[in-house]
Amino acid sequence: MKIAINVLQALALILGGPLVRGIVARVKAFLQRRQGASIWRPYSDLAKLFRKEDLVPPTASSIFRVVPFVLFGTTICVASFVPLVQPSALLASRGDFFLFVYLLAMGRFFLSLGGFDGGSSFGGMGASREALVSSLAEAPFLLSLVAVAILASHADIAGMVAWTMQQNIFNISAVHILAFTSLAMVVIAETGRMPVDNPTTHLELTMIHEGMVLEYSGPRLALIEWASAVKLHAMLALLVALFVPWGMASSVSVGAIGLALILYCAKAAPLMVLLAVIESGMAKLRMYLVPDFLGVASAVSALAVIFTILVKR
Amino acid sequence: MQLVSIDRAFVFLLATLGLFSPLVLVASQAKRARILAIALIVGSNVVGCFVAALCFWRESVVLVDFSSFTPFPFALEIDRLSALFLLLICTVAVPVAIFAVSYFGDHYGKERRNWMWAFFSLFLVSMIVVVTARTGFAFLVGWELMTLLSAGLILMEGDSTERRHNVFLYLLMMHAGAAAVVASFFLFLPYSHSLDFASIRTASGAVPAGTRTLVFLLAFLGFGTKAGIIPLHLWLPRAHPIAPSPVSALMSGVMLKTAVYGFVRFVFDFLGGGPWWSGYAVLSVAAVTGLLGILYAIAENDLKRLLAYSSVENIGIIFLGLGTSLIFLAHHAPVWAGLALVGALLHAFNHALFKSLLFLGAGAISNAAHTVDLEKLGGLQSRMPVTGATLLVACCSIAGLPLFNGFVSEWVIFRSLLAGSVLINTKAQVLLPLTVGVLALIGGLAAACFVKVFGVAFLGRPRSKAAEHAEEVPLAMRTGLGLLATSCVGIGIFPGLLLRPLVSLVQVLVPGAGVPPETVSIARVIPFAAAIILGVSITAALLKRRERMVRTWACGLPGLTSRMQYTSTAFSKPIRFVFSSVYRPDRKIDKLPTDQPYFPVSITYRSVRTTSYEKAIYRPFAEMILSAAHRLRRMQTGNIQVYLLYIFLTLVLLLAFLRFQK
Repeated sequence: MKIAINVLQALALILGGPLVRGIVARVKAFLQRRQGASIWRPYSDLAKLFRKEDLVPPTASSIFRVVPFVLFGTTICVASFVPLVQPSALLASRGDFFLFVYLLAMGRFFLSLGGFDGGSSFGGMGASREALVSSLAEAPFLLSLVAVAILASHADIAGMVAWTMQQNIFNISAVHILAFTSLAMVVIAETGRMPVDNPTTHLELTMIHEGMVLEYSGPRLALIEWASAVKLHAMLALLVALFVPWGMASSVSVGAIGLALILYCAKAAPLMVLLAVIESGMAKLRMYLVPDFLGVASAVSALAVIFTILVKR
Repeated sequence: MQLVSIDRAFVFLLATLGLFSPLVLVASQAKRARILAIALIVGSNVVGCFVAALCFWRESVVLVDFSSFTPFPFALEIDRLSALFLLLICTVAVPVAIFAVSYFGDHYGKERRNWMWAFFSLFLVSMIVVVTARTGFAFLVGWELMTLLSAGLILMEGDSTERRHNVFLYLLMMHAGAAAVVASFFLFLPYSHSLDFASIRTASGAVPAGTRTLVFLLAFLGFGTKAGIIPLHLWLPRAHPIAPSPVSALMSGVMLKTAVYGFVRFVFDFLGGGPWWSGYAVLSVAAVTGLLGILYAIAENDLKRLLAYSSVENIGIIFLGLGTSLIFLAHHAPVWAGLALVGALLHAFNHALFKSLLFLGAGAISNAAHTVDLEKLGGLQSRMPVTGATLLVACCSIAGLPLFNGFVSEWVIFRSLLAGSVLINTKAQVLLPLTVGVLALIGGLAAACFVKVFGVAFLGRPRSKAAEHAEEVPLAMRTGLGLLATSCVGIGIFPGLLLRPLVSLVQVLVPGAGVPPETVSIARVIPFAAAIILGVSITAALLKRRERMVRTWACGLPGLTSRMQYTSTAFSKPIRFVFSSVYRPDRKIDKLPTDQPYFPVSITYRSVRTTSYEKAIYRPFAEMILSAAHRLRRMQTGNIQVYLLYIFLTLVLLLAFLRFQK
């Protein structure tokens, strides 16, 4: 039963990914006083792409063709790490957060290779920038998770979530605030949102993620887009699960699960709005200001680790 | 039931590699003799793998004593630690030798090829002697031969002035390191009646604290020089790239590991941990080594130099594990010390596999495209699919991606660092978890570096005629590459195979180490994750699609050329810019003619990175020695009477010393 729910919540994460994108875009449109597209729009985009044919550059090798599948596979695997409605997930109690972070890195590694294979300058450019951002984002990502893990005395995500659930909701320590701040900054960098990367641009001066996927089309592009939507959703769900897990179902019953699902939506909604507000309110950072942004995240996460030790004693 | 005893198999390995094959190769130029010798080299290494595997998994002990033939006690023993490293040497040697069959055949004439093989075989023996030595004498003989033979192999490739200079530097630094190793051996002598490892081990309890500290420092310095920790790494990026690729693979993949073996043998086995600060010292040096190593690697465009610097980085990761282990030992947490040691040893093993794979891959590239300059490569994947696939495995492994072996060992080190938070000591408690950030940064940069290697060399369009006409390498080379790639993936998905015996090994080295549950959990989850990733990827790949070839849009221009692609230099520019304080290149712009700066006819731009150590440490040191030597020259008058006086004075002094000694 528990495993069935784990499978279902992984499916919810995967299938709900495009919806998160749609909602964020809709809120952005609202903030910018635009009409905006329906929140279901990303689904029809994906359906359209899946129906189209694949255009492949003549220089492209087998790597170009394989990359979207590997990326999609690792992202699905990442999604099966994140608890949604109960403090467990398919892999959350067996695998720890190091594996989680490195699976994300694996997807990125392959996507960068796909960028190179188009044979144009944009792919390499996107890959080069992605290399900078991701290599600097790794440290704060792991350190902020380390802080929470030390506090919970668990390295597996399920254990961390279960520990936080047992704490008093008003008993939030400074560690949580620091870790949340740096993790949120990392999420922005990791999922390629403003102010690190602009997901809606195709301007060569600014694009990172879009630069890498420029040569992809049809079903392969659909898989890449879907994977990045799932990644965004998984990261938001991770923030929710680690820092506001209260309300997750501790017993397996339809009522509890249903309530947990509704509560999850209520908890994720402010994060999506926050993302939309940041994206509408901030200009994209100049490329060489991104290291400073991530430097701040690293410093905050290091502080979080130090505070954790102090809190724990 | 055993058909042949392991002892005999081990002697067979030594005899074939050390005596028979080289003799055959040197004595006869016939093709048949060479084939026999090579077959024996490969075959004896396969036997060596079995010997090592038996000793490693079953913990059989092999003891071979040659003391009756040698002036000093010369005995070899395979305990579990030796077995691990013997396994490492033989596992890497088999594919490297198979690869070399075709590499040496393509690159050298008959005579030189035979000498190459003879040295190759002797080089393997010297390393085997180092890791199985039971006496100080045997260890030092192997240690010295290893240096000399590898230098010989480098010189056989050519003898330009630059090469000689690099080899000179290599030999110089190796001997300085060897001196430290010898000294640390001799420090045991007053307390132990011989340099037999067993008696050193029993005597080490009686060694006073001051001497122990000295032994630790000398061992760290000596083995650190061999391993290439920064700032003692100067020889490494010079000596490794100029060797023939199979030899570079052995040097980077295997020879560096003998230094790790030596360090573990001395510090963990003999001393049972260093002074309280030793862990912090090793940890900080290792962090600097790892970080700077990978930063230098990213900036390189010459593939083999890049790989050499990345070896420096990986040595940094290995010593990070060793340092963590020492810190845990000093704070009496043997379980976690054991876990960190498992991580370090496993990373040594993994690095041997993927680094030799990468160096062999560089050899394959130079075979096919006649260059290892990344700026002249590109588009090799569609021309050499097998080489490309194996190198992709190597790049994923070294970048520490899950499902490949590099991840497992880095993961174990990560977990041991995380466990630092349970210590009582605040310093260690804060420092170890923070080191996770350093290792993560190293890992992130390594991923960036190897995206560059694979992306620039194998993907996109070829950047030169040579790369355009590259063809897949011969079967022997592909076999060598394939074997190594398979073992990388095998260990990556089923790490339990190695983790279990490793845990038993560290239980011997670290008393009370126990079995950390972490080692079991990773072995359980990785196959699961692999199944999910492969299942989903393959399902997605099987979906029905229509595919059409279309030229990449060139922004309205007639077409894209290879010069429009991102180059290796361009790729690393953002990282070089952000970490510019590390590189500090000497840039020089010359405009001609000089009197008309605004109407230049030609502009030349040069940017040379001399690493700051050379300027800050090595140059002043070398100059100091030179000036001291200059001053000493005054003693050398050339007058025979003066020399007689020196002899007489020495004699008087010695007699006086003997008289007043009592």
